[in-house]
Amino acid sequence: MEAIFAVWQRDIIKFFRDRARLFGSFAMPLMFLLIFGVGMNGALSSMFSTSGMDQFTGFNYVSFIFPGIIAMTVFSTSIFSALSVVTDREEGYMKEILVSPVSRTYVAIGKIFGSATVAVIQGLLMLAFVPLIGVEVELMNIIKLIPAMLLVAFTLSSIGLLVASTLKTATGFQAVIQVLIFPMLFLSGAFFPLNGMPGWMNALVKVNPMTYAVDMFKHIMLDVGSMNEVLKQAMGLNLKLLGHSVSTLEEITFIACIGALFVMLATVFFNRSG
Amino acid sequence: MTENVIEVDGLRKSFGDFEAVKGVEFTIQKGEIFGFLGPNGAGKTTTINMLCTMMKPTAGTGRICCHDIQSEKSTVRECIGIIFQENTLDEKLTAEENLMLHCKFYRVPKSERNGRIEEVLRMVDLYEKRKDVVERYSGGMKRRLEIARGLLHYPKVLFLDEPTVGLDPQTRTHIWDYILELKNREGITIFLTTHYMDEAEYSDRIAIMDHGKIIALDTPDNLKKMIGGDVIEVITEDNGKAIEEISQRYGNDVKAKGDSLAFSVKNGSEFLTGFVKQMIVPIKNISVHRPTLNDVFLNLTGREIRDEITNGTKKPKFGHRRF
Repeated sequence: MEAIFAVWQRDIIKFFRDRARLFGSFAMPLMFLLIFGVGMNGALSSMFSTSGMDQFTGFNYVSFIFPGIIAMTVFSTSIFSALSVVTDREEGYMKEILVSPVSRTYVAIGKIFGSATVAVIQGLLMLAFVPLIGVEVELMNIIKLIPAMLLVAFTLSSIGLLVASTLKTATGFQAVIQVLIFPMLFLSGAFFPLNGMPGWMNALVKVNPMTYAVDMFKHIMLDVGSMNEVLKQAMGLNLKLLGHSVSTLEEITFIACIGALFVMLATVFFNRSG
Repeated sequence: MTENVIEVDGLRKSFGDFEAVKGVEFTIQKGEIFGFLGPNGAGKTTTINMLCTMMKPTAGTGRICCHDIQSEKSTVRECIGIIFQENTLDEKLTAEENLMLHCKFYRVPKSERNGRIEEVLRMVDLYEKRKDVVERYSGGMKRRLEIARGLLHYPKVLFLDEPTVGLDPQTRTHIWDYILELKNREGITIFLTTHYMDEAEYSDRIAIMDHGKIIALDTPDNLKKMIGGDVIEVITEDNGKAIEEISQRYGNDVKAKGDSLAFSVKNGSEFLTGFVKQMIVPIKNISVHRPTLNDVFLNLTGREIRDEITNGTKKPKFGHRRF
């Protein structure tokens, strides 16, 4: 069992040692937040104010997008962390692990834990932007956010490991992950409210596990209770599946089930690949 | 009393239609340095991979320290240390961190960890550098650290796959001093593959493998005796004609060795004077020497050991088929 901890610990040590990665990981979300968030916020506010609908006065695109940005960070960090499995294989370290008496299942679980932990740390670091962008987040909500992030990170880390176990090269891994990650991100409600979409797109959104993750993050971070119905609708906070409003508990269950499934698949495939 | 540490019986491995290992058997005793030589594609790597539990044999059995390599994988892995040809250190971590991870993977008792890490680091003279990130190490230091790591869990058998390839002569000697000291002090059994003749000489016994089979297995001295007498190496104006002439006149089996021809005779120096006079094909250069392992290798496989490296066709070893 200590082997799980050892594999995990190695990832954590390396994460904190790699300053470039630490700071680099801020770049992408920061760009989205600044360019998308601030830019769109002005455009949308001016649109709503000229339309004269005062229900929208509470609309703030930055606060809409911020939970989505955190979700994106957790999501992409955890899925991309599995790259280390591929590079370990390329650089040879994987052999040191594989010829040791450690069970491969433990190695896989250690890797998933490692990626998930790093992703949660990255997600929390995003909160450093809070004072800069004029969004308010209560401490209680941050505490609630941590297990939610962990759950999402766990699921995505196993998806990453599954992909890494089936591919041989780092470039191949990156290519596949890119193809996976972008539709999952953009069809998740992280960047725009999921309203009035054509049927096929709506179907894609509903099968995307990220949709439920983003919605869960929004409900934790935004003060949904104080919003009027029109505003809620505009912010895309009425997630419905086949006409049924999805509750946070259902979202958690759904992500956990998907997570459990992928942890199993990833472990099986990792066992085979070694 | 002698104790068999490795027992291999009828070990086979096929990849589809291709039979890479065609039934090998040998036993290795405790404390022995066992040299495992052979041209590339001979099935060496496959054999080692099976012994190290990295690959499942198609048929046959192997036992290391009385544990079956198939049914007791985990126990076998605890008994063996493997030093790969290529670097398998985590270069972003310090020497100490690399070793600590190894202790955890091999379940070294917690209370012994720091002591053992210090012990192996001192042995390879890296204790002072233990806090350095491995990235900053030289090639020789990395190799020494790998050897130290391979010893951390006190293996009974150490697999050394080309332990000094790519290192300068001084570092090579240094590393061999450690290995021999280990053998003498701890009685560790060493399973060695190498392309360096002088390294192969350290072996107590040598197995030469070719085309999936072990074609010779004996002490280096006995192997050299197989050649019989001395080795004559000659460079002529026309090697093709010379081969014909020599085999016709003396009935010797002549092998091409790079630019020169090599064959063995009972008494080298005596033979030489007559030979030089009798040869019709003009001789450019001639020498006589006692047989070396390289001559043995050439004789048995038709190739020189060093060919492998100079031709640059070396394949990655240890489990590349599975990665």
